[in-house]
Amino acid sequence: METAGQIVSWIYQYFDNFGFLLLAGVGLILIYSMMGVINMAHGELMMIGAYVAVSAFHAGAPVLVAIVLAGLGAGLAGVIIEQLVIRHFYNQLLSSLVVTWGISLIISQGTLLLLGPSVMNMPTPLGSFSVGPFAFGVYRLVMFAAALVLIGGVWAIFRWTRLGERAQATMENPAMARALGIDTRRVYMLTFGLGAALGGIAGAMFAMTATISPFFGQNYTPMAFITVVVGGGASPILGLAYAGLYLAGVQTITSNVFNEYVGYVSVMAAAFLALLVMPSGISDFLERRRTRATQR
Amino acid sequence: MREPAKPFGRLLAPFNGQQTLGNSRFFWACWLIIVVALVLLPFIGTRYQVITASNFIISAILALSLCLIWGFCGILSLGQAAFYCIGGYAYGIVAMNLIERHGNTNVAILAGIAAPALFAAVVGALMFFSRLKGVYVAILMLVTSLLLGLFMRQTADPSYTMGAAYLGGMNGLSPATANDPQLPSIILGFGEAVAEFDGRGASFYWLVLGIGIAVYLALRWVVNSSFGYVLVAVREDPERAETFGYDVRLVQLGAFCLSAAIAGLAGTLYTAWGTYIHPDGFSVGANILVVIWVAVGGRKDLTAVIVATMVLSWLSIELATWGEISLLMLGFILVGAMLAAPEGAFIALGTGIGRLRARLRGVGRKAPAVYGVQELKP
Repeated sequence: METAGQIVSWIYQYFDNFGFLLLAGVGLILIYSMMGVINMAHGELMMIGAYVAVSAFHAGAPVLVAIVLAGLGAGLAGVIIEQLVIRHFYNQLLSSLVVTWGISLIISQGTLLLLGPSVMNMPTPLGSFSVGPFAFGVYRLVMFAAALVLIGGVWAIFRWTRLGERAQATMENPAMARALGIDTRRVYMLTFGLGAALGGIAGAMFAMTATISPFFGQNYTPMAFITVVVGGGASPILGLAYAGLYLAGVQTITSNVFNEYVGYVSVMAAAFLALLVMPSGISDFLERRRTRATQR
Repeated sequence: MREPAKPFGRLLAPFNGQQTLGNSRFFWACWLIIVVALVLLPFIGTRYQVITASNFIISAILALSLCLIWGFCGILSLGQAAFYCIGGYAYGIVAMNLIERHGNTNVAILAGIAAPALFAAVVGALMFFSRLKGVYVAILMLVTSLLLGLFMRQTADPSYTMGAAYLGGMNGLSPATANDPQLPSIILGFGEAVAEFDGRGASFYWLVLGIGIAVYLALRWVVNSSFGYVLVAVREDPERAETFGYDVRLVQLGAFCLSAAIAGLAGTLYTAWGTYIHPDGFSVGANILVVIWVAVGGRKDLTAVIVATMVLSWLSIELATWGEISLLMLGFILVGAMLAAPEGAFIALGTGIGRLRARLRGVGRKAPAVYGVQELKP
């Protein structure tokens, strides 16, 4: 029983870490691959989602409704940010990096002023199950499932809806898409809003496992950035999946064998290693290999 | 561009050129007046003002280090404060271990400059030789800084000592035992002679001012030298620079290490200034401040960055009396400046002054384009 519990524990942690990276990274990588903008304010959008969810929950809303409200709130914030600022910085990677960092400073400091440094939280729903001497929370498995559902949802939107079609055209060749009558500005706005909403939902889900403060987002962004960097921008879903699989594995093994800090550093080292081989991320690397194969 | 007047020409020639704003006699006259005013500050100002001014100049040196790589070589690092703090910690640890044996902090200062440069060499070699995208470099440097901060935060355990220095987690660097020396301020030793610069005194201020001016002039010389032109070539078009036979990766690595060394020098001075160094220096807040100074000032000009750092640091202190709004306001200033003057508010101001003077002198409707203003294309 002891060893069975140990094995289950490792698998459980792997899926926990994997789900975490997917949830934290999905909105970020979507915006990056579609718009060429790495959104440094992603953590703050997650923080907005977390605050909305907790407020809704304490006002009596069921958990699911709270999560949906969080997505809507963060999505709305995303659309506003896009309209006011981001639209001046499409495909200017470094400038957009700096300007979104400024936005993140404004949101986190503004929240600090409005709500004060006090922390809020909400209980972790669902119980736990145990294998041998180990007890596992069910909620973390739900989080992993939710990550898969969200990614599947994004894939479905891009595959089957008109917006998805237009977004793909815009991503492929913005000038051509405009010439064919696609309102690329609207596509960008909706994409940014969708990415922000995904961040808000992720924030709401993390909110049930952690305390929430104005600097809530900063705990999640470093890992999300590493995942996106390793994933690359050519294909958001594939990149995220591969990067998550790889980095979660490294993190699970090293943080179990050593400690949590070594786990983080190892993820960083693993990211460096992957980038040495594939300097613009896994999905770009695969994309290039595929085009080379088809050309041959 | 107008040639500087003859007698000054030869003296100032190495510091003037295409890569810097302010090459006229008028500019250097203003510069000299400001330097003289700064030198005289301890006689006019209060003790508090002198202490604060020392800190501002240290910040300006840090900002210059980011300006060098971001503005001239096109490498944005969102984790510049990491080098600053590595320098600070290196200085502190070495100084506490050697102060009793040597009686001065010469070696510690060298360590404060060399440690971050060495760190930059390792990290930079990995990044530049794998030809990493610019955004990835920026993000990975920030993550590196945050991880170093995470490590320093959990060093409160008494086992984290390096000789006479105890890393001390959130309490900052402190002596390992009661018998060990405190973190010293800068003590320069020349053979038998010893000069001590107390962080709260005017002598320290003059030392920092001298170093600041030296760094400024040295960087003006570097960016206007042929190496500076190579840097700009790499910024504008790495592939073309490569075609001309330059090893872009080596150029980037060289600039990165030089920048880290300057940041480390600033960190050394900061630690000596407050005889204190703390893991918060690795945090998001510390890193974003440097980027704000450089972006608002104008990353492509050294003078603009210094002026912006001074003005914004002063503004932060003034705003602090109104409550916790200074960071919020700096965020608004950054976003506003990026929207209104993407090349930097103070560069826009500087070129404006140049145009106005040209018009007043009737040289022409417009001043000649001293400065190629272009957005960094991905």
